Amino acid sequence: MKLVSIILANDLRRRLRSPFAVVIMMLMPLVLTLIVGIVFGRSGSVELPKIRVLLVDRDSGFMSNLLRQGLQQDRFAEMIDLVIVDGEEGYSMMREGKASALVEVPENFTGDVLDRHPTVIRVVKNPAESFLPMIVEEVVETMVLTIDRGSRIFAEPIKSVRVLLEGDRWPTGGDIEDVLNTSRTRAILVRGYLSDSLVTLETETLAPEGERTGGINLFAFVLPGSLMLGLMFISEIVLRDIVREKQTGTLARLFTTPVEAGEIIAGKIISTFLITAIACILLLVIGRFGFKIMIKDYLALALHLVASVFMCTGVITFFYGFIRSERAADAILSVAIVVMGLFGGSMVPLEQMSGTLQAAGRFSPVYWAIDGFKKILVFDAGLADIRLNLVVLLVIAVMTTATGAFMLRGRMQRGG
Amino acid sequence: MIEVREIRKSFGEVDAVNGINFHVGEGEIYGFLGPNGAGKTTTISIIAGILLADSGTVSIAGMDIRKDGRKIRSLLGVIPQEIALYEELSGRENLHFWGSLYGLSGRELRSAADRVLERVGLSERANDPVREYSGGMKRRINLCIGLLHHPRIILLDEPTLGIDPQARINILDIIREEVSRGTTAIYTTHYLEEAENLCDRIAIIDNGRILAEGTLQELVRLVGEEDIVTVTGSFTAEQVNPLLGGVKVDHLESDSIRVLVPDSHSISGLLERFFAAGVNVGEVSIKEPSLESVFIKLTGRELRD
Ligand SMILES: Nc1ncnc2c1ncn2[C@@H]1O[C@H](COP(=O)(O)OP(=O)(O)O)[C@@H](O)[C@H]1O
Ligand SMILES: [Mg+2]
Repeated sequence: MKLVSIILANDLRRRLRSPFAVVIMMLMPLVLTLIVGIVFGRSGSVELPKIRVLLVDRDSGFMSNLLRQGLQQDRFAEMIDLVIVDGEEGYSMMREGKASALVEVPENFTGDVLDRHPTVIRVVKNPAESFLPMIVEEVVETMVLTIDRGSRIFAEPIKSVRVLLEGDRWPTGGDIEDVLNTSRTRAILVRGYLSDSLVTLETETLAPEGERTGGINLFAFVLPGSLMLGLMFISEIVLRDIVREKQTGTLARLFTTPVEAGEIIAGKIISTFLITAIACILLLVIGRFGFKIMIKDYLALALHLVASVFMCTGVITFFYGFIRSERAADAILSVAIVVMGLFGGSMVPLEQMSGTLQAAGRFSPVYWAIDGFKKILVFDAGLADIRLNLVVLLVIAVMTTATGAFMLRGRMQRGG
Repeated sequence: MIEVREIRKSFGEVDAVNGINFHVGEGEIYGFLGPNGAGKTTTISIIAGILLADSGTVSIAGMDIRKDGRKIRSLLGVIPQEIALYEELSGRENLHFWGSLYGLSGRELRSAADRVLERVGLSERANDPVREYSGGMKRRINLCIGLLHHPRIILLDEPTLGIDPQARINILDIIREEVSRGTTAIYTTHYLEEAENLCDRIAIIDNGRILAEGTLQELVRLVGEEDIVTVTGSFTAEQVNPLLGGVKVDHLESDSIRVLVPDSHSISGLLERFFAAGVNVGEVSIKEPSLESVFIKLTGRELRD
């Protein structure tokens, strides 16, 4: 045991001295998550929930109509699912996390705007989500600016015909779109001027109430897949030391010391496990604070992390039971990892694949890890919900680790 | 102390070690002299536990390496021919790691490391990563690792390979110093002088076999008191054959002849006969009895090729 810990400590120290390969592999899931998250979030090509926005219209006048139609125009309609609610209902839905944001138009909004009285539009954001509410905020902000600027110029003419306008569907969405398209860029430039505007935008994020609100965070949906792909590669990089040390001669030298082959292998597998686990924890911390992914059940997450990382280490150990050189590792392992990742749902979410592929995915060990992380991070699953994942992962981990270690030990004892 | 019986090892078609027997007594430095590819490294690797022999036995301090591997390895210090270090770690960290595998720890480990670093003149660079060392510096650390724990038996596989003469002397001194504590050593080399200067007994090895073994005097006596004369030029065997009365012919072919002669008088006699017969002589070399002449006699070729 002493010798195992010496080998382990040495491997960790060496990895600390040249951490770049692992760090780069850690960046991959983050970049992938960011890109996929944003691309999938913007295009309508993937069956993801739209951004649900609640509109509380206490004004029901021309101006609030304008706002509503703006949010419902074609371009936004792809993204935004606008639900008109009354105040009470809207706020309770927000508390239950059933929408990304709530927009509240105050009473007599049209009148105040036309009379140039100060007035306030509120945007209430769901704390469980990161960028979806931001999109809503930006859109509403742009519209508010447009309304404010427009009303300064057109207040008098509009006022004179306001009777005609009350409660009607004029102007059309197309007209608004034109205004929006040009004002959108300008809005960004003149954002600072909003402060002297008579219409103020008041943003507020609902305080999380301990119980997590259940809106879907797109990042939480995408991260598990790329995370597992990254972890597999990290395990591979770290365990590659076995063939690399064979090349540098240090492995042969280890055989001349009192250390036994089994102890060398144990040290290497444990260091691979630890480094992969540390990478996983760091990535989840970034996910939690950078991508605002809510974690409800930390115990379930911790256990699933251990099982998933153990599975990674085991599967890679298994491969190294057969692989004898870095060249073979290059040729076989990256392909094997990508295939397992692909079938397991690392690149394209499994939900997007055909039924056959989905069924095939179950044979990828990576699937069980990704599925578990999704359940925990997206759907608030607890221990009971991921029982099957844990069992499958641990069985795979134990079997692959044992087989791989056995093969490696046999080979080392024969002097190869 | 070390008893090697009939070990064989082949790699596919190549019989790297082909039935080697020898014995090394306690406190003895046993030299393994042979050209590249002779089987020195393979033999050492089998003794060190890196390779399994196809057949044969090795026992060390009365224990069988197949049964008491760990116990035996704790007695050994191995200096491999290929430098085997962790490049990303410093020289000192390398020493600490390898030393701790032999059970050294704490103050004892640190002072042992400091001592050897001082001895090989690397104290100043001890904290730099090995990656930044020169070849000679790496060689020295490579050596230190095998000596750090004062093993009872040292296996040295060409520890001076590719090192400048100055550093070589330093390394040989260190080895002498270490062995003077009563340590047993096997030293492989393809440098004649090293074998001559350092070793109590020498085995001449080629093609996986020991061709001769003994002290320097015993080996030299094998070639007798005669000088080896090699004549090269442009001639045929038939042309020179009748001129060879009174000398022992060791080797004869066209353009090259090797003879053994008792004194310089007979050399001049031989050459006179050659010139008289009009033999086209290019070059004449005379070697007094030495390890080199033993080697040439046994293997039919020079060591440096
Ligand atoms: N791992 C190996 N695979 C194949 N052939 C080998 C291997 N190791 C050594 N040999 C061959 O065995 C012979 C002896 O090699 P070696 O013991 O390294 O010689 P030396 O150390 O005396 O130079 C050589 O012909 C070499 O090519
Ligand atoms: Mg060699």
